[in-house]
Amino acid sequence: MSAHQLPACVIDNGTGYTKLGFAGNMEPQFIIPSAIAVKDKVTSANSQALRWNNRGTGAGIDDLDFFIGDEALSPAAANYTVKYPIRHGIVEDWDLMERYWEQCIFKYLRAEPEDHFFLLTEPPLNTPENREYTAEIMFESFNVPGLYIAVQAVLALTASWQSRAANERSLTGLVIDSGDGVTHCIPVADGYVIGSCIKHIPIAGRDITYFIQNLLREREHAIPAEQSYEVAKTIKERYCYVCPDVMKEFVKYDTDAEKWLKTYDGINNITKKPFSVDIGYERFLGPEIFFHPEFCNPDFTTPISDTVDNLIQQCPIDVRRGLYENIVLSGGSTMFKDFARKLQRDVKRLSDARLQSSEALSGGRLKPKPIDVQVISHKMQRYAVWFGGSMLASTAEFYQVSHTKAEYMEKGPSICRYNPVFGALT
Amino acid sequence: MIILEQNNRIIVELLEQKFANAKEGGKHDNVNVTFADFDGVLYKLSNPDGDRNKIILSISLKFYAELQQHGADDLLRRVYGANFRQNPENGFNVTLEYDLNNLPADTSDLVTKASALKRNCFASVFEKYFEFQEAGQEGHKRAVINYREDETMYIEAKADRVTVIFSTVFKDADDVIIGKVFLQEFREGRKASQTAPAVLYSLGEPPLELKDLPGARVGENVGYITFVLFPRHTNKKTRDNTIDLIHSFRDYLHYHIKCSKVYLHTRMRAKTTDFLKVLNRAKPEVKGEKKTFSGRTFQTQ
Repeated sequence: MSAHQLPACVIDNGTGYTKLGFAGNMEPQFIIPSAIAVKDKVTSANSQALRWNNRGTGAGIDDLDFFIGDEALSPAAANYTVKYPIRHGIVEDWDLMERYWEQCIFKYLRAEPEDHFFLLTEPPLNTPENREYTAEIMFESFNVPGLYIAVQAVLALTASWQSRAANERSLTGLVIDSGDGVTHCIPVADGYVIGSCIKHIPIAGRDITYFIQNLLREREHAIPAEQSYEVAKTIKERYCYVCPDVMKEFVKYDTDAEKWLKTYDGINNITKKPFSVDIGYERFLGPEIFFHPEFCNPDFTTPISDTVDNLIQQCPIDVRRGLYENIVLSGGSTMFKDFARKLQRDVKRLSDARLQSSEALSGGRLKPKPIDVQVISHKMQRYAVWFGGSMLASTAEFYQVSHTKAEYMEKGPSICRYNPVFGALT
Repeated sequence: MIILEQNNRIIVELLEQKFANAKEGGKHDNVNVTFADFDGVLYKLSNPDGDRNKIILSISLKFYAELQQHGADDLLRRVYGANFRQNPENGFNVTLEYDLNNLPADTSDLVTKASALKRNCFASVFEKYFEFQEAGQEGHKRAVINYREDETMYIEAKADRVTVIFSTVFKDADDVIIGKVFLQEFREGRKASQTAPAVLYSLGEPPLELKDLPGARVGENVGYITFVLFPRHTNKKTRDNTIDLIHSFRDYLHYHIKCSKVYLHTRMRAKTTDFLKVLNRAKPEVKGEKKTFSGRTFQTQ
């Protein structure tokens, strides 16, 4: 059966969640925790795994006895140990990962892997060895006809294309990827990550939620304690936005409270009694910690705009303009309204100030060309990486650049060390 | 997970979400999702002609024409009733239509049925031959379903049994061997459970039943699996379960071949780390002079 007629499978394995689905769709079909629940006995690389299962006891099917995703965290898996095979975006336990993929493919996607091409993702700075392991698993265990391993940041860049004109589609840009755990700023030049300039910001979705939870805890006593995290999270997702100026925003709230204050109505999970929460300043204070981290973290005080500007200044001089012009957002924590606008304004201010000072230093003889700062915000931001993969994997070019099974059998797993950049306007 | 699930999870999740949303009176979003299933099946869930109040689920099977000869349309009409659309969407074989403004109070039944669409397409041919067997009719032409490009399923009814033969192609040389070992276990399984159907396995050439058939494939990597189903499997009570299991047998086999390989890999990795430990222990220590910071030297042994 020709693999080209069936859509490719796109699997984006993240630290917390795995996004999987078929290429050509707008959203992943499944978003499941990257968790796997196994019986304690069959943990990888222990002495148990070295001995053959003696017949009669379990008849050697222990290796099929596991759950992944939401089921791993459900009560059905109470007697199992939950493990996360991916840490900091990089696969740590290949035994568990192989089994995780096994169920991803057969239980969730229900795809015969021999019929579909596969697009997998990797974090920037993944090791080539890991790519080889991935290739071994995919080609040897699952007999996939073709495989492409894409860098997440590059996929996030391609995801932003759909909001831009066709002639502006470049693979140079700065990706700000903010999920639940940590925020990464990754510069990409012509489809290649500039590894030495990657910056991490220890502020992400979870910190905002904690911050809001704290604000609410001081004021709202109606919230049941065990639900306070979920309430804070819902408030964050529904009502938070980014304001241009904190002081003015406070004044706005104080003068016209009616217009800005919101209420959240929830139901106590245990007593089933409704409760309601007033939402005030946290609507704009929550996301504000990106720009004023000192609000919640006394050890880290660099605003995101400063980090972005410093990072671009560290990059090779010939790509800096390209990076300023194409700052792309990805991940759920960049979804706040006007996040892009404020970031753009702040970065613009910094770069303009630098240009002015260099003009002043030269005594007015040098007139630098103004830098165009653009922060791109688009509809597919939340699953930008997956969406970028889905888009690329539905092009004809994808089938040309993928490594095929025949190539693998000929040359071995080392072919997957290098995955050619594609999709850019050539 | 030993036996593959019968229903398609993507359909379940999508429809449940759409139906729940419709019941709560939410705005109907437009939907357009294309996804696949085993055996080269392609599904599409979308709005007909951009009408957001309705959603249609279409399925495309390469071999639907062959199933139609065995009454697939009638069976689907019987199962899906009003949801079965007379003229399927362009490019697809079967289309189910749901009106979001006019849903029954309990939609779980609709969802379950919809998620078994592929299975129901297959079911007709099995049911037909089970009927033949029950009525004791012999001499019907055997059904040939080319369920994949190079793999075929044959069904034949005798008065006392129904024979189902799968041909399957192994892409990898290792798969042939693992498949063989795996299928040998089926013979063992019959010893443990007397009610199991007889399973015969032949590699390379078709079984005797198919000797007269010119189209049957011969080759090193072709396997034939024959199931002999007795009346206890084909009677009305157990029929549905039999169809559930047998129609996905090919995928089940290939799933387990892959699982076996995964298991072998696990053991290989464990063994490698074990060997590495031994090697590291055996590393000879380099003898020589070592110096402390202050300049004193001493011999290491």
